[in-house]
Amino acid sequence: MSARALRITLIVLTVLGLGVASYVTYVHYAGIKPACTAGESCTKVQTSRYSELVGIPVALIGLIGYVAILASLLARETETTRFATAALTLGGFAFSAYLTYREIFSIHAICEECASSAVIMTIMAGLSVWRFLRGEETLAAGPLAAPPGVHSSAGEPAAPLSSAS
Amino acid sequence: MSSIESDEEDLTRKQRREQAREQRKAMEEAAAAGAARRARLTQLGIVVSVVVVAIVLVLIITSGGGKSGIPASKAEKNSVTHEIAGLITGIPQSGNALGSPTAPVTLQYFGDLECPICRQFTTGALPSIIPQWVRTGKLRIEYHSMETATREPEVFKTQQIAAYAAGKQNKAWYFIETFYHEQGEEDSGYVTEKYLQGIASQVPGLNLAQWTSDRNDPELANEVKTDEQAANNHGFTGTPAFLIGRSGGALTKLEYSSAPSNPGFVNEAVEKLLKA
Repeated sequence: MSARALRITLIVLTVLGLGVASYVTYVHYAGIKPACTAGESCTKVQTSRYSELVGIPVALIGLIGYVAILASLLARETETTRFATAALTLGGFAFSAYLTYREIFSIHAICEECASSAVIMTIMAGLSVWRFLRGEETLAAGPLAAPPGVHSSAGEPAAPLSSAS
Repeated sequence: MSSIESDEEDLTRKQRREQAREQRKAMEEAAAAGAARRARLTQLGIVVSVVVVAIVLVLIITSGGGKSGIPASKAEKNSVTHEIAGLITGIPQSGNALGSPTAPVTLQYFGDLECPICRQFTTGALPSIIPQWVRTGKLRIEYHSMETATREPEVFKTQQIAAYAAGKQNKAWYFIETFYHEQGEEDSGYVTEKYLQGIASQVPGLNLAQWTSDRNDPELANEVKTDEQAANNHGFTGTPAFLIGRSGGALTKLEYSSAPSNPGFVNEAVEKLLKA
């Protein structure tokens, strides 16, 4: 997978996760019924005491997390931003794992939106760790691009998009 | 030695030097790549360690009994009873309703006694709503049942009927308030017969023998069922859920936009209805 394709895949997944987190946050504050095919299980999760952490809705924590990940992906790609993406997605993965544990063992109900977000975050954590360990430098076209010949903060010459692999 | 031989020897020496340089360069690059990879793995290791510690902390915070309101001592129980008495004693009660029967505004509160968000509303918002609107005769609050947080339908029915049975002696609100104040850890199976008896024993002046007998009244089981049907008819999917309106008139849905412990949404609705 090319570095560019990897980055675009991560951005697409982040936007999907952002959509899910925005919806769940809206549902939480509006006090409305979440879309759910599994009867009342989403509502049960939503009204559970685990839907908040020290008074902050977990949906809002997820939303903030996705925004931070998106920012790290849209910034000019360097060793530092790749590390930031990997660190944030690892944190998101661990938090999703905690919430899934609560759903299964404490609330005994599964929220579909939460499960979708957990799957998205798991894929993102795997991809972003792989991306960070590969250590490739790439430039993307358009707003993601840096001028030709620009060197990364790690001091590596930035490869043109066409040659990125 | 001929000049040709000398040239060949020079070329071989040059080639060897070149090869050695390339090998050295390759080794240096491999060493640099290895070092970079080790540095990245170390960085990720630090991140994973921090994340693990953070999750363990979250588990400790959310698993602690701090959220459970079940009193550990008689002194704590007395404190809860005292607080509730201060809030509602002297306010007329009838069945599951709290407040004057002639109050101009009625609020129907649909709740599950095990629902933690209902607890937030009851212990956070009601302590300001009741003195401001109910004690002054402007608002009457009716409690209705809707199962959300309680896992077992039979447990739900039993606990809600226990509250309504106290209502047969016009003391339902003491029971409801005490239950929410002493609500246990969600899905921990804390609602046992002993727990319900404990709540009932904290209701001032409740005739326990009468209460025990009333719990078998089929009328109360029907009331819980009717409440559930009403909640379904209104499309409620979570608790707490509310209906509000002029007493005797049509009631409309009232939704909270911020935390349910914030009484603002009820205050605004009551003010608006009183002006209407």
